[in-house]
Amino acid sequence: MKWRRRFEEDMDAELRFHIDAYAAELMRSGLSPEEAQRRARLEFGSVEARKDECREAWGLRFIDELCADLRLTARLLRRSPGFALIAILSLGLGTGANTAIFGVLDSVMLRSLPVRDPNQLVFLHVAGTAGRDGPPYPLFQLIRDQAKSFESVAAFSPSAIELRTSQGRESVRGLWVSGNFHETLGVRPILGRTLHASDDPAAGQAPDGAVVVISDAFWRQRFGGDPAIVGRSVEVSGRGATIIGVIPMRMMSLEPGSAVDLAAPMALSDPAKMQDRTSLWLGVVARLNPRIRPEQALAETRSLFAGYMAETRVSDPIRQLLFQRAEMTPAGQGLRGLRRQFEKPLVVLTVLAGLLLLAACVNVSSLLLARATSRQTEFAVRLAIGASRARLVRQSLTEAFVLAALGMGLGCLVARTGQDALTMFLAQSGDPIVLDLSLNWRTFLYSGVLTALVTLAMGLLPALRVHGQSPDAALRGARGTAGRVSIRLGRGLVTLQVALSMVLLCGAGLFVATLRALSAADLGFTQEGLMTMEVTPERDWFGTERWLQAQAEILDRVGRIPQVRAAAWATMVPMTGRDRGAVLDVPGYRPTSETDKHIHLQAVSPEYFETAGVPLLWGRRFSARDNGSAPKAAILNDTAARFYFGRQSAIGRKIRFTNYAAADLEYEVVGIVKDSKHNNPREAAVRFVYLPITQSVDRVNRLTLLVRCDGDAAPLAGPVSEQVREARGGLLVAKVATMETLVSRTVAKERLMASLATAFGIAALVLACIGLYGIVAYSVSRRTREIGIRVALGASTGRVVGMIMNEAIVLCAIGVAAGLPAAYLLARLSRSLLYGVEGLSPLAAGVAAGLLLACGVLAAWAPSRRAISLEPLSALRRE
Amino acid sequence: MAKAGDLLQGTLEMLILKALSLNPLHGYGILIRIQQLSGERLQIQQGSLYPALYRMEARGLIVPEWGESENNRKAKFYRLTPAGKKQLKQETAAWSEFSAAIAGILDASEAPS
Repeated sequence: MKWRRRFEEDMDAELRFHIDAYAAELMRSGLSPEEAQRRARLEFGSVEARKDECREAWGLRFIDELCADLRLTARLLRRSPGFALIAILSLGLGTGANTAIFGVLDSVMLRSLPVRDPNQLVFLHVAGTAGRDGPPYPLFQLIRDQAKSFESVAAFSPSAIELRTSQGRESVRGLWVSGNFHETLGVRPILGRTLHASDDPAAGQAPDGAVVVISDAFWRQRFGGDPAIVGRSVEVSGRGATIIGVIPMRMMSLEPGSAVDLAAPMALSDPAKMQDRTSLWLGVVARLNPRIRPEQALAETRSLFAGYMAETRVSDPIRQLLFQRAEMTPAGQGLRGLRRQFEKPLVVLTVLAGLLLLAACVNVSSLLLARATSRQTEFAVRLAIGASRARLVRQSLTEAFVLAALGMGLGCLVARTGQDALTMFLAQSGDPIVLDLSLNWRTFLYSGVLTALVTLAMGLLPALRVHGQSPDAALRGARGTAGRVSIRLGRGLVTLQVALSMVLLCGAGLFVATLRALSAADLGFTQEGLMTMEVTPERDWFGTERWLQAQAEILDRVGRIPQVRAAAWATMVPMTGRDRGAVLDVPGYRPTSETDKHIHLQAVSPEYFETAGVPLLWGRRFSARDNGSAPKAAILNDTAARFYFGRQSAIGRKIRFTNYAAADLEYEVVGIVKDSKHNNPREAAVRFVYLPITQSVDRVNRLTLLVRCDGDAAPLAGPVSEQVREARGGLLVAKVATMETLVSRTVAKERLMASLATAFGIAALVLACIGLYGIVAYSVSRRTREIGIRVALGASTGRVVGMIMNEAIVLCAIGVAAGLPAAYLLARLSRSLLYGVEGLSPLAAGVAAGLLLACGVLAAWAPSRRAISLEPLSALRRE
Repeated sequence: MAKAGDLLQGTLEMLILKALSLNPLHGYGILIRIQQLSGERLQIQQGSLYPALYRMEARGLIVPEWGESENNRKAKFYRLTPAGKKQLKQETAAWSEFSAAIAGILDASEAPS
């Protein structure tokens, strides 16, 4: 600014000096001072024009013109606040939705882990025909000690860990890690230190004793951000330990989005698992030696694996399934858990948001077109006095750019709220999600490109169209060609908008139908009025008589609460994602593959089926008589019974478990129950076997308590947990949730799609309405004379209204027809996300079309009323 | 695509460079000097001088400095930069070639009498 002023002053002084010098010379040759000045000025020529040329030489002209354009745009927008508001709102909505979804997409799918050199990290697996899984602990030890291709190798295993602090016992989200885990990742602590390799061997021999690390979120939430946290003593999994450091939550685990409270050395967990040569419970991450190529590292890993397997006893079928070879996968972006779940929905949502933005752009574009057309005279005058067409196009683009920029500004606010809502949605599918939503260069680039595209999309078309007209025709006031062409263009744009809205509305219909079908799906048990909670006794109670007695006592106490109708225990409940498998041998059944022998296993108390509402099909339920000394009884579900026994009755037949450490266990089938869905409402039924808790195949530790209530189960959470705690102190109650909550968590994805698609659909509908209104109003204003003539010649108001409505409805119909194939295509592409709907149904399409046609009628309402209230004479006189 | 004005513009710049090659001058001084050197045979349009000066300054051929004129008024003097000197040499050489070529054509078209 100051520089500019200086420049102008200097230039002015310089030119004035020149004129004065020339005047002085003229005075010397005899002219009077005034005459000399006049002659000097005349001969110099137009000072302003010269100044302009000087400014142009310095490139200042462009800036001046830009500022002038911006000022003009500001004035124009201020004069039509309604248009500005609609434009900025629609653009804000469109860009905000896009930015929000892209931000989440980026965080879930594109970001690398916030660790040192993430591209040098790899995961190590063992693999076979059944897929990939983490290697057993002894294999991990072998690779860690002997492999030269890796700088370091670390292991981890997510698990619920029991923590006892001065405030009591609780179950926290934990991660068992090898001592060098944090060093391998290159993570820095906020307080204290991270775990070191020396903390690893049997804890207690480590220099600082058993140590653990907590996340910053947990530190703030549980310990109130206590600055003296380092050195605090706690009890982890029954053993004493010291908190040695605090790490940011994002860096605690390798799964983006997962929340981890505590990281503890593996030595504090179950030592038996660490000796097992075939147990797959770990994940292994390794940092490649930068001097070694990845292929070499893989080769070395494979040869170590071969050596390991030569010394390991494992049955051939298992070897085929899981231990055929070692594999290495890149770990730069972490584990795929969250990504796998939300990849497809996020991509579909990005497409939908893109369509919405396109609809908004089309909307604003047609509005800009209408405005430009009404400024014909102004453009003609400017062209006539010397502006170039490029200059006028630049001005129109500036107007579009300002709208786009303001829209994006609003969009940023929309995006912030949208992202928070999205994260909340993702979180409902289980534990809360911790997403790193900070802005990075990718989001900035995306926003920038989006703004540029939006500006071009909106502004170029009207600008080019209008400026193609010759100025003299416009000055003469002929409204023929120019107006007609732009109205045709305007109609095209509105039709496009209606088509886009059709696609979005159909999409909304599809996802809403999916959600409803899922909600109504038969789960095989009754989800209403069912309360669940996990109860964990002290470690030394596992599998003891005392625990069994406590179970019976708790059922008794809970049963006495007024609204409770039934209560039961189970090792796990549906819809929590927990699973337990077993291998069966069924005499009389010949399996065709190893997987045929697999079955899901659950141990339950006798009241389970009644409490959960699972109907008994044949035989009998468990009773108190099925205890430790009685003959072993088992119950199969329908799918299992038909699979193993075909049409014959399964009752009385024997089955045998073959994968447990104890001697082969033979059970008699005493009952068959209806199938129930286990992981989520979508899946097909799987084979299930139920055993009594008293006759379980192995030690029973943690159990889930189920309570059936009259009416809503939520208010009973408090009374039931109280009874549990009063029965025995020292019982840990966790994960209290109604079955309805658990079920709804499993359909979080579908609910997300349905809600957002509906929101987009409604927004698209509103935009279509505005667009239709704009074009019909404009069309009516152009046909004022024609309408006046018609009325003067005797047309009834009905005919006039019908004429106007007709225009709107025809536009809608064409738009609907154009959008139908695209909607059908969208349905096909999203097939894997749908449930209970086979692509686009005629009903959904019909409803969407109906809504849009109603929109058209609504949009034409106001203009048609204005048309019939016209006085024919004044209409005829209007130009 | 050079218009007739462009050709003149190039020539004007060359003349300005030559005028400044002797010593720094302000705009009016440049005008006087060119007229002097041409023996009053060349009249430069006054207004076109300053846009040319600003262009040349933007290209780095000349550099301004404020000083005092003969009658002690503040004036903006211009001075050649090394780039400007180089440009003057190049343009002078090009002009000589150009005028030699034109002279060659004009001489050749004289019919033998």
